[in-house]
Amino acid sequence: MRKLLYSTLWITGLLCCTISCMEEQDFDQFDDLRVTPTLSSGIFYLESDEETINLAGPLGSFYFQEVTFEAFNEQYVAERLIEGTMTYQIQNTTSKRLRIVIEFLNEDGRVLDVERFDIEANSPDIVEYPVFYGAGGKNINILSSTKSLRVIADNLSVGSSVSANPDARIIFRSGAEFLFQLQ
Amino acid sequence: MSMAPRLILITLFVYATGFAQNKEVLYDFYEIPQSLMVNPGVKTSQKWHAGIPVLSGLSVQGATSGVTVNDLFANDGVDFTTKVQERLLSVMTDRDDFSSTSQIEAFTVGFRGKNRLDDYYSFGMYGEMDIISYWPKDLAILAFEGNGGANLGRSFDLGDLNLRGEMVNVLHFGINRKVNENLTIGGRAKIYSSIFQFQSINNSGSFVTREGQNNVYESAISADMQLQTAGVKGFYDIIEEDTGTTKKDVKSLFTERTLLGGNLGFGVDVGFSYNLNPQTTITASVLDLGFISNSKDVWNYTFAGSTTTDGISIVLPEDIDDVDNDKWQELIDEIDAALPHGENQASYISWRPVKVYGSVRYDFGQGGTGRIFDNCGCAVNSGGMSSTSDYYRNSIGGQLFMIKRPKGVQAALTGFYQRRFGRVLSLKGTYTVDKYSFTNIGLGANFQMGPVNFYVLADNLLSYSNIADSHYASLQFGFNIISWNGN
Repeated sequence: MRKLLYSTLWITGLLCCTISCMEEQDFDQFDDLRVTPTLSSGIFYLESDEETINLAGPLGSFYFQEVTFEAFNEQYVAERLIEGTMTYQIQNTTSKRLRIVIEFLNEDGRVLDVERFDIEANSPDIVEYPVFYGAGGKNINILSSTKSLRVIADNLSVGSSVSANPDARIIFRSGAEFLFQLQ
Repeated sequence: MSMAPRLILITLFVYATGFAQNKEVLYDFYEIPQSLMVNPGVKTSQKWHAGIPVLSGLSVQGATSGVTVNDLFANDGVDFTTKVQERLLSVMTDRDDFSSTSQIEAFTVGFRGKNRLDDYYSFGMYGEMDIISYWPKDLAILAFEGNGGANLGRSFDLGDLNLRGEMVNVLHFGINRKVNENLTIGGRAKIYSSIFQFQSINNSGSFVTREGQNNVYESAISADMQLQTAGVKGFYDIIEEDTGTTKKDVKSLFTERTLLGGNLGFGVDVGFSYNLNPQTTITASVLDLGFISNSKDVWNYTFAGSTTTDGISIVLPEDIDDVDNDKWQELIDEIDAALPHGENQASYISWRPVKVYGSVRYDFGQGGTGRIFDNCGCAVNSGGMSSTSDYYRNSIGGQLFMIKRPKGVQAALTGFYQRRFGRVLSLKGTYTVDKYSFTNIGLGANFQMGPVNFYVLADNLLSYSNIADSHYASLQFGFNIISWNGN
């Protein structure tokens, strides 16, 4: 009985092996997989009305703040960051010439890089400034080493003028679109 | 290759070469005692049968409605990333799935009632593992391509995450009764002893990144997601502790859960066979109409809420006095608070995947009167319509199979031809159309050597020319001892 069982099992197994076959497979190909998503996110938004700028006085800073910024500094992110673009958009309907400065600071507070934007008065059209990081652009390590941003907004004009534009404002937008290598 | 990708690979491979829920070759193949397990109302003729422990019924089935192992891993010189992009991400939809079912019969016994020869009782125990995972299309694209570039404005459906899996041990007892010359009915009660169960089947939500109203980009997420598990954490904790007795502890826990020590459930199978005329028979069955109450070792994970973010935001003059410089962490905390994720141990009910079979069979080609079941001590259902009816060598017919899956009912249509060569050999050929394959040809053989019964059933035989390119594969075989008289 036992012999019969084993014989039948063997025959079945042998039949299966005989009639089935498989093209050559290479499972090591998985090592060649490249997963490189493009991730986008809003970064920093600053908006101010003209009255606040006037209150800071002529040639004065109406905003000065250091804020932590660790979007690219996390180890997992930093190690996988390949390249990308920081996009800045500025719209100024105030009567002032303005300057916005973004300083990228490392853990020790050292300035790694500076972006400076001089903005003409009464510029209702959105002006876009893309800054590329990676090969052919700025060093990607600037972002991966950045722990905080120092944002300085200066009034380069008098502190009393009032724009004829309704609800006059300076609007500063920024966003990032970066390529990561996850695998 | 690291461990995680290897595991994914192995899982894909197992899925694509494994065993399925539809047992179209076995269904209504009444010469095989295991056909009682797919229709408790199938025609029975034997006096008693006993499955050879562990060898009486072993079935494995695997299916993938989208990509095959060969599509990805054939040594064809095509860049692997390109293959993933073109053959997986661009082609598969959220209705495609990977599924695998395996079943092993621990023991099975059947016997005819002494006082009521029309009743045939059967009982036994089998283990079953069933896993299905729908292709999480949007989540895969999000991981592979990201939310930027061409995907700006695209809403990713978080409900694409849909999977269910379980391992159960089933103790069952069934009664098959010949009501009259034309009708046989049957029912089977089942006690499910769950070893583990997990499901994440009612997820909803979306994630989108678009041009912002304020900032350059804004991301909005809305989620209502849950993963329910029962019996998983116990095994996980043992493996995590790694005390040196891990293997023994896992075995011990497995055995306890197998023998009613875990979560329990109850279910029934019902079925019938009805002769419309001496040569035409219709049958139907409903299987696993049941549930498991998961209250032990439950660990659920939830993720729900909604928020929109466009980064750090400063609006003057409102924020002029806000000198807090930890705004990044505040932003992270705000998102965390808006999207609470947690764990709980709430009990839940998991429903078994209900299956329905139906068939119509036409017998022809008279082979004599009662020859096939000569010496049958039972005098019940011996060939054709009654003990005195003719024995037909051929059968032809069609079968319908339906199974309730997390995203709806899956159906399969089968046409079959069966040929009997006396009592010794019976062959059944099938052609099945379902979402996995349009070229599924199956073949079953039942050998009767004295009291020893051996059967082997295989599906999708054409795929055997390159098993790695198969969307579906299934194999089932087993041994029984059958008696038609007093031996």
